[in-house]
Amino acid sequence: MLLEIDHHSGVPIYRQVIEQIRQQIMAGQLSEGEQLMSVRELAAQLRVNPMTISKAYALLEVEGLVERRRGVGLFAARLRKDKKIHTKAQLLEEILRKAAVTAVQFGIPEEKAREMLAKLYRKYDSKTRSHSHE
Amino acid sequence: MNNEKPIVQMRKVCKRFGNIKALDDIDLEIHPGRIIGLLGANGAGKSTLLRHIIGLYLEDEGECVTFGCKAGKLTPKELGRIGYVPQEGELLEWMTVKQLIRYVSTYYPNWNRQLEEKYVADYEISTKARVGSLSPGQRQRLAILLAIGFEPELLILDEPAAALDPVARARFLDLLLQIIQTENHTIIISSHILSDVEKVIDHAVIMKEGRILLDCSFDELRERFSRVRISALGGELPAELPFENVVHCKRSDGQAILTVQDCPRKKLQEQAQKLNCWVEIETLPLEEIYKIVVSS
Repeated sequence: MLLEIDHHSGVPIYRQVIEQIRQQIMAGQLSEGEQLMSVRELAAQLRVNPMTISKAYALLEVEGLVERRRGVGLFAARLRKDKKIHTKAQLLEEILRKAAVTAVQFGIPEEKAREMLAKLYRKYDSKTRSHSHE
Repeated sequence: MNNEKPIVQMRKVCKRFGNIKALDDIDLEIHPGRIIGLLGANGAGKSTLLRHIIGLYLEDEGECVTFGCKAGKLTPKELGRIGYVPQEGELLEWMTVKQLIRYVSTYYPNWNRQLEEKYVADYEISTKARVGSLSPGQRQRLAILLAIGFEPELLILDEPAAALDPVARARFLDLLLQIIQTENHTIIISSHILSDVEKVIDHAVIMKEGRILLDCSFDELRERFSRVRISALGGELPAELPFENVVHCKRSDGQAILTVQDCPRKKLQEQAQKLNCWVEIETLPLEEIYKIVVSS
């Protein structure tokens, strides 16, 4: 669990914590059932107020991404498959939205934008990459 | 989330110095476990307020209760839980630094010698020097040490970073974050320079002319204001933009940059969509938030 806080970004720290943990759970860097650092450990590591971490954890719990086991701590939740897909799609859409708007503003045709995305996808996806070498 | 008992309660506190109302109807509660930033220009009443908390000033009207005891009647028992670094501290000039530390530490049975030694080493305090010969920055470091050496539950710092150089200031903020890691420790830190404290505070109290303009969590403060960049997706923006709670607006034909207050993200996005606009919502730098609050 490696988090990095940007004190100059203007985004409240608890939200940075939530976004990064959500991202890590979705990308599988934080696997299901894995224990999260305790509030005090994480607060000390990031040099932030423990209250800030408590708040982030509480909101992640409401979101259903983490589970509290009484007296033990907090764990990355086992998510239903559909919920996971839905959350991933939402996160991706936010990122793609900006790309789509830029394409529209620059007057890049839809077909060309689509082609660019596909090319980038193939570049970073290890499965299709190894296929193309065969 | 606010169910703990407040450690400081001020109710309708007024204080006059001659014709000047230094504190004007102050209501304030300080809850444990927080780092509270008391912000305001010079002369806003920050130091006066802090002095009331520890009974150095007595209120003309109203009531100030600290650790359950009227601030004017605090006993050594309560005072032993409070560390205070005044803006211009009087230290015993004729002692050496070492003598002064030993002298002050005898008042506190719970003085933490280990913490003291670590602080002296980290902050390069020359213990052999005479207190009267210290530079303002060195004096400030010494005053801070004397206030934290007994690990007080409530630490009150009046413009503590003013005399520190940038490196010492960064270290000092780190120190505050270490202190707050201990359960139920509370820090009140006053400053007229927001950037000095924004990294560490989690609650903001903004003062102006003896009044409290705003008292809210720091996250809430940041989220109440946003900068909204609007750009037309086809051609021009309409002449009238339908957005509410706009504090400030700059625009050209195809673009507008708004500063808005208390307007939910979702609503902004929906309105922008109707206008066939692309909207980007950003947080506002704290200096700007502060300016808006103080000038309103």
